[in-house]
Amino acid sequence: MRRPLVRPYPKDWFLRTGAYRLFMLRELTSVCIAGYLVFMLWWLYQLGKGDTESFRSLLSIAKHPVSIGLHTIALIAAAWHSITWFNLTPLVMPMRIGEDRVPNVVIAIAMGYGPWLVVSGFVLWATLH
Amino acid sequence: MSHLTKTNEAFWWSLFSAGGVMAALFLPVMIFVTGFVLPFMMGEDVESQQDRMVSLVTFWPVRLALFGIIFLSSFHCAHRIRHVLMDFGLRWAGVALMICCYGAAAGGAVAAGLILVRL
Amino acid sequence: MPEPTITLDVFRYRPDEDERSTFQSYDVPYHEHWVILDALNWIKDHVDGTLSYRWSCRMGVCGSCGMMINGDPKLTCAAFLKDYFPATIRIEPLANFPVERDLVIVMDDFMSKLTSVKPWMIRDDTSPMEEELLQSPSQLAAYKQFSMCINCLLCYAACPELDSDPDFLGPAAIALAHRYNLDSRDQGTAERQDILGAEEGVWGCAFIGECTEVCPKNVDPAGAIQQAKVAVTKDWYKRMLLPWGKR
Repeated sequence: MRRPLVRPYPKDWFLRTGAYRLFMLRELTSVCIAGYLVFMLWWLYQLGKGDTESFRSLLSIAKHPVSIGLHTIALIAAAWHSITWFNLTPLVMPMRIGEDRVPNVVIAIAMGYGPWLVVSGFVLWATLH
Repeated sequence: MSHLTKTNEAFWWSLFSAGGVMAALFLPVMIFVTGFVLPFMMGEDVESQQDRMVSLVTFWPVRLALFGIIFLSSFHCAHRIRHVLMDFGLRWAGVALMICCYGAAAGGAVAAGLILVRL
Repeated sequence: MPEPTITLDVFRYRPDEDERSTFQSYDVPYHEHWVILDALNWIKDHVDGTLSYRWSCRMGVCGSCGMMINGDPKLTCAAFLKDYFPATIRIEPLANFPVERDLVIVMDDFMSKLTSVKPWMIRDDTSPMEEELLQSPSQLAAYKQFSMCINCLLCYAACPELDSDPDFLGPAAIALAHRYNLDSRDQGTAERQDILGAEEGVWGCAFIGECTEVCPKNVDPAGAIQQAKVAVTKDWYKRMLLPWGKR
């Protein structure tokens, strides 16, 4: 007689091994990024008011330790998103030349890290020039 | 397979992917600018700081870029958060969860559009 | 000097006797060159003939001896005792599958998922062919990696999404569908697209990537699923934007 046994799957699977924890960390960067996007909206709104008072309050908030702390967390999360995103790009969009697969690291640099560097440099230059 | 559920997930996934690229390329440096460059690396003259920031952000290509970044990154986050919540056991919430996540992202995109147009 | 031994904690479930599963400990002689499958065979031959498990080739080709070793899906013919000695090794049937008996899983559900993606060559013209279908080395290279699958199901045991949605097609079935879609001789992509593009198809995957990590044949099912997502998405836009056109 067949009487298959169904076992429960661990509800805390995402905590169980390093790989699952890293996956969850990657997915949860989106929460930090979403938080920053909300801040960005407020920041643009405040900047758009145009008067010196609003800009001063924006600056004083930006200099507050809480802002520094939250920005640091957001920066780490966003950078972790970038790194994981670029590292996975070659798996999603593999390329070949004839029979040979273009090495993953070449694709990651050409489509990810390279443009990242250019874009970051350009934005910093545009802000500081 | 007993049953197949038709889905427009391809559409949400394409927004997620485009947003993932935008967020990966632009957000770290933007966070660095608003969090560290503006308060600490642009001198002491508040009015010149304001002038420089406003003239940068109101430059039309920058407005368009900011809109694209915020719009797509919002949907990127919404999609990921939705899937994390599904993995955490909210799969039964189905369409309601989609409305919450993508609705919030759409709201953010509309707000970004309004703010950027009126800058 | 006594022979060294190693303890195996083995998952037991006998549907005709047991209400629930138990663990049974066996002390097995330790040999450096033994794999876990050798130890299980020793138990079956010398200690307990009632222990049930699947195995066949002992060389990583048949794909039938996959089990959870200390919680990780592995081919027991490729997992050496020396990598665990002297600690106790816990052996369970593959996760995400019902248990038929002891270490034997029920794979009916997987078999129906696998056949649903039509993992065989589909041709528009089914009449007997006059000439063979030629394929260049680079056309072969386009899908070869995905054709190495031995259906060992380690990827299913490693995938938490299958618990979240048991109807998810799963890594191996999607990788095999993708393998035929990439084959220059195959013309069945359209027939597979409805199932790949369904909620139970590629969209069940959040790219956790463990299927690729545990694959003993380097198939990279996670990559295959993401590539299939790209293909399905292109197809979706084509259908939405060009309703009058051919798919």
